Amino acid sequence: MRTDPLTATFSALADPTRRAILARLANGDANVTELAKPFDMSQPAISKHLKVLERAGLISRGRDAQTRPCHLEAARMKQATEWMERYRRFWDESFDRLEVVVEELKKKETAHVRKK
Amino acid sequence: MSERNSPPDLHMTRTFDAPRRVVFDAWSKAEHVARWFTPKPLSTPKCEIDFRTGGTFYLVMRMPDGVEFPMNATYTEVTPPERISFSATIHGGIEVKTTVTFTEHDGKTTLDVHQTYSTDGDPVRGAVQGWTATLNQLAEVLAS
Repeated sequence: MRTDPLTATFSALADPTRRAILARLANGDANVTELAKPFDMSQPAISKHLKVLERAGLISRGRDAQTRPCHLEAARMKQATEWMERYRRFWDESFDRLEVVVEELKKKETAHVRKK
Repeated sequence: MSERNSPPDLHMTRTFDAPRRVVFDAWSKAEHVARWFTPKPLSTPKCEIDFRTGGTFYLVMRMPDGVEFPMNATYTEVTPPERISFSATIHGGIEVKTTVTFTEHDGKTTLDVHQTYSTDGDPVRGAVQGWTATLNQLAEVLAS
């Protein structure tokens, strides 16, 4: 079944190892051997993660058959971050409105106490 | 290798200049929640709250074009005035768990909202896709 690009991206980002790989690639391209080293994971395990990242469009891989260096695709990363930021902004705006309601409730309470 | 077809967890925090029982109150009654919960430009034509552990939290969000998004949640925890948790299944597949924590310090209240998404039990990809598509659509409307 086809998955829409953003769902694939979030699915890929949901795993901590994959996020760490992306963080490493933000510092520059690297191949599987270089990526496997700091994670204490086998190369096949890392390769599986890389496949998920590649499918999600978060990385691309070089043509060199031996090393196939991985490259971070910043545009897709940015798209996912922007989506999260937008969602975050919904909450932020909700909190703004909540603040207004809280202020009103606080005033009402103070007025009520004064009446007593 | 675990795979989840869902966005990462969301964590939001905000401090309000009010005691926590007041902030908690704003989450506990339908008349208050209806005023602030729904993102603009959507409206809240309906909000019903049975505020107790096991009770229901039902809210309808309406888009400017009339399309409605109902949210049917269950309170999994109501501990006044400290914590509220509710769980909602949207678009028939994905479960959104929201935990709200109220902490008071010097008369001010810090609110923590933590949301997790899961498709445990019945991982229907199509449902998740639909959900993401809807949220994207929603995001686009809201951003414009």
